[in-house]
Amino acid sequence: MAFDSVFFNEFSDAWSRRDGYRLARTLSPEVSAEELKTIYNSTNAHDIKSSVRRGLQGNAALVVGIARDEINAARESDGGNDSESPQLVWTKVFEAWTDVLNQLLRGYQNHGFEAWTIPCLYIVCKNLRAFAIKADDERNSSSVEDTTANNLQDDFDPDTNKNQKLEECARTLSRVFMICQTDRAPIEESRKWGSYYIANLLLKTYFKLNSASLSKNILNSLRASGRDMPDFSAFPKSQRVTFKYHEGVLAFLEENYVQAETCLTEAWDLCHKDAVRNKERILTYLIPCHLINNHTLPTKKLLEPYPRLQKLFLPLCQCIKRGELHKFDLALQEGEDEFVKRRIYLTLERGRDIALRNLLRKVFIARGFEEAKPGEKPVRRTRVPVAEFAAAISLGSEEKIDNDEVECLLANMIYKGHMKGYISRQHGMVVLSKSGAFPGTGV
Amino acid sequence: MMPTWPAAAPAPGVQASSTAYATTYSAYTPVQVRQSFGQAYTVPQPSYPVTHTYGPAPPSMPSATNPASNPSPPPPAVPEQQKTKIDWPDSVRRYVQRAFMPANLDSTVTRAEMEAKLKETITQANESGVMYTLDWDSMPLPQQMIREERARVLRPHLSKSETPTPTQAPTAKKRKSWDVNDAAPADSSSTTPPWRTGAGRLQDRVTFANDRRQIADEPLKPSSKFSRADKRQKRNEGEYKTYREDTPPPSAGPVVGTCQDLEKRYLRLTSAPKPSQVRPPHILRQTLELLKKRWKKDQNYAYICDQFKSMRQDLTVQRVRDEFTVEVYEIHARIALEKGDLGEYNQCQTQLKALYKLGLKGKPNEFKAYRILYYIHTANRTELNNALADLTAAEKKDKAIKHALDVRSALALGNYHRFFQLYNDTPNMGAYLMDMFVGRERLHALCNICKAYKQDVPLRFVTEELYFESDVEAAQFILDHGGQDLLDDRNGSIVFLTAKAGNRFEGPRAKAFARVDIKGQI
Repeated sequence: MAFDSVFFNEFSDAWSRRDGYRLARTLSPEVSAEELKTIYNSTNAHDIKSSVRRGLQGNAALVVGIARDEINAARESDGGNDSESPQLVWTKVFEAWTDVLNQLLRGYQNHGFEAWTIPCLYIVCKNLRAFAIKADDERNSSSVEDTTANNLQDDFDPDTNKNQKLEECARTLSRVFMICQTDRAPIEESRKWGSYYIANLLLKTYFKLNSASLSKNILNSLRASGRDMPDFSAFPKSQRVTFKYHEGVLAFLEENYVQAETCLTEAWDLCHKDAVRNKERILTYLIPCHLINNHTLPTKKLLEPYPRLQKLFLPLCQCIKRGELHKFDLALQEGEDEFVKRRIYLTLERGRDIALRNLLRKVFIARGFEEAKPGEKPVRRTRVPVAEFAAAISLGSEEKIDNDEVECLLANMIYKGHMKGYISRQHGMVVLSKSGAFPGTGV
Repeated sequence: MMPTWPAAAPAPGVQASSTAYATTYSAYTPVQVRQSFGQAYTVPQPSYPVTHTYGPAPPSMPSATNPASNPSPPPPAVPEQQKTKIDWPDSVRRYVQRAFMPANLDSTVTRAEMEAKLKETITQANESGVMYTLDWDSMPLPQQMIREERARVLRPHLSKSETPTPTQAPTAKKRKSWDVNDAAPADSSSTTPPWRTGAGRLQDRVTFANDRRQIADEPLKPSSKFSRADKRQKRNEGEYKTYREDTPPPSAGPVVGTCQDLEKRYLRLTSAPKPSQVRPPHILRQTLELLKKRWKKDQNYAYICDQFKSMRQDLTVQRVRDEFTVEVYEIHARIALEKGDLGEYNQCQTQLKALYKLGLKGKPNEFKAYRILYYIHTANRTELNNALADLTAAEKKDKAIKHALDVRSALALGNYHRFFQLYNDTPNMGAYLMDMFVGRERLHALCNICKAYKQDVPLRFVTEELYFESDVEAAQFILDHGGQDLLDDRNGSIVFLTAKAGNRFEGPRAKAFARVDIKGQI
C-alpha cells in the first residue's frame, strides 16, 4: 500500500540506523495533501496500526501508527468538512495531537524509548505549539463563542480564554520538560538531552502568553540541576543560541542589563552567520544593553544588514550622539509603538541621559581653555555658570527650562556619574573636575 | 459502627464563615495617607479597628436575615461515618441502635431524614449538657418525632380546610422538614411518601405563589416571584436549628434577588446565595445613594467598605454587569484609595478593567491613570509596559493619563524637579496614590542633592524642590532619616550641609525602593 511504502520504509530505515532526526521527520504532520489523500484512501486506522506493529513490533511503532492515524483523521476533517457549520477544526487537531504527545510520553516513561529517539519529542512538541496557536486563532475569530463558562465566574475577564489552548500547551510542555529533567538514566542514555530544546519551546510559549515571569522556574530548574546535566557546550549550537537569547531577554526585562549583555553576547557569538533574523532579534536587545552599560551606540556598519533595526535605532542614535534633546523625544515618540511592543521603550528612554551628557559636554568644550601659563599643558575652563547649561538645555529641548530644573538635571548627571564635579548654588556655578569631567568621553 | 463524632466539632459551613470574617479584616491594609496636603506624612492613620465600628444600627437591618452571622449550632455529621474518639455514653449508642432496628423503621421516613433528626437530637442534648443525664432509653425515636412533626404541621391546614391536600400551602414549619429532604436527598430505593414525590413538589412550586396570595396577609409584593421568595425567607428565618445550613446544589442561572433592605452587612458566601438575601438592582441603586450620603456625613470607612462589599457581592451573584455596576466599583475604588485600602482598591480595579473591556461607560481614563501611577508605586515594569502598550493615541492626550505618563517619564529620567511639580498638580484622586511613593522619591532627590551640591544649600531650597509644606516639615524629614547634624543656623537662615551628608541617605533610599509587595496586586 502507498502508506506502507512511503512512510513505513522511511520509518524502519531511520529506526535501523538509529537516526533520531530522521525518525522524527516521519512523525511530522507536514505531509502534502496529495500524499495524505493517498494514505487516507488506501488504508484505515486499524490497518496502519497493525501493519506498523507487524513490521517493527515495537512500542514506537504503535505510537507512530496512532500519531499518523490521529493527525490524518484531524486533517481529513479539515479538508473534508468544509461545507459543515464552522467547527473548530484546529481545536480538534490540537486535541488529537495532545493525545499523540501523551502516547509518546507514555512510551518514554513506561516502555523505555531510547534517548536517541528524543527528536521525535521535539517535533511533536513543536507541532503541538503550532496547533495550539492555530486553534486559538481560529476560536477567537469564529463566531462560536463559548462565553457560558466565563459568565459563571465571579471574577470575569473577557480575555481569559483568548489563549486557552496555548496555555494548555504550555502546561503540557512544562510536563514534558520535567520528564526530561528528572530522568535519572546514565547521561548517555538520558532524556536530559532534551531539556534545552523543550525549555526553549516553553520559554517561547511563555513570551507569547505574556507571562515571562513563569520562565524563572525553568531557568532555576536548569540551574539547580546543573551538575547532573551534560555540559552546556555539549548541546547543539542551535539550542544554545536560542537558550542564551531567551535568558538574556529575561534578564533584560528584569533590568539586569549586565547579565543580559553577557547572555546576549554569548548568543550573538554562537549565532550562525546567515541566521539574519535571529541576529536581528539578538541585536534588538543587545543594543539597548550597550547603551545603558557602556553608553555606546551601534555603528552604521553593524546595522547594515538589518534594515529593520536601522529604522528602529538609527534616528534615536543620531540624536543621542548630537545631544539633540527635542529630536530625541520626537524620535522616541515616533517609534513608541514598536519600542513598547518589543519592550525596549523604557530602556531606550534612558538614552536621553546620554544625549544630555553629550550636550553638556559640548558646552564644556565650547568654553575652551584657561589662559595657558607658559610651558604648561592647557587646562579647560572648569567653572561653568549654570545659566550656560540652562541656555544649552533650553535650546536643545526647544522649550524654556528654568534654572532650578536645570540644576536638577545637572545633579542627576553628577549623581549618575555621567559628569564629575559639583554645583555651587550660592554662586550659580558648576565646578567640573579638571581630570575627566565627562568620564569615558575623553574630556 | 458507633456514633463517635466530636462534640464540639463545628459544622463546615460555620467554620468557613468565621474564617471569612478573619480574612475580611486582614484585607484592610493600613497604608498611610494624608487627609490633605498639609498633613502629608505627619498624621499616621490609625489602623482599622478589628471590630466593626458601625454607627447606630439601622432599624431596618434585620439581623435574622443573615443566618451565618448568627451561626446555628453545628449539625454533626452522620453518626455512622464518624471516626473520632469521643466517648459516647452507652445510653446514646443504644438509642441510635434502637432507631435503626429494622422493626422500628418507618417506610415513610427516609434514612436521611432520620439521620438528620438523630443528629439534631443528640447535638442538642450534648450542647445543653444533658447528654449524660437524659433518659435515652425512653426517648422517642427519630422516626416518631418526624411523624409527630408532620402531624403537627398538617393539623392546622386540615382544620382550615382551604386546601384539601397537604401538597398545597405548606406553612413555614412544614417547609422545615422539606428542607431536610433538600439537603440530604433520599435514597432512591427508600419509599417516599406520596407528598414527597417529584410531581407533588413540582406542583407545590407551581401553585404555591397563587395559593399563598389567596390566603396571604402579608404586604403586597411586586410579583408572585417575590412573594414566593419572601415566603422562603420566612422559612429560612425559622430554620436555624435544623439541618438546613448545608449547601444546596448550585442553581443554573443567576440569582434574582428579592431582599428589600437597603443595608446589608458583607458576609463571604459559603453556599449558594439565597434570593431573599440578595438585593435586586433597583434596591441597590437606593443603597448607593444612601451610602454616598452616609460617607459624606460619617466618613466611617469600616462601615462603608463593608456595605460596598456586600453591594458588589449582590451584583456579582445576580450577574449584573452594567453601567451601574461600573459606578459602584468606581466609587468604592475611590473611597478605598482615599483611605489607602489597596486591597479593596485592587479588587475594584481588576473588575473595572474587565467591565470597561465589555464596553461599559464609566471613567476608564481616570482609572487607567490610577493604574499607571499604581504601577509606578509598585515598580512593576512589566505591567507598566503592558499598560503603555494598551494606550491609544487619544488616551495619551487625556489629562489624567497624560499626567500619569509625565510622572512616569519624570521619574524615569530622575527629573525630581518636574516630578514634584506634577505631584502638586494631580488630577482626580491620583495624589493619594502618589502619596505612597512621594516619600521614597524625596529620599532619592535628597541623595541627588547631597551628591551634587557643595558645600551647602538653604533649607528653603530643599523645601521648595521637594514640595514640603514648610521648612519645618523639610527639616523634620531630614531629621527622620538620620540627618540630625546636617542642619545649621547661619545668620538666621537654616542651611542644609550637603557636603557633610555624603552617602547618609543612600541607606534609607535603598530601603524605600526595596520591593513593594501588596495584597491583591494586579
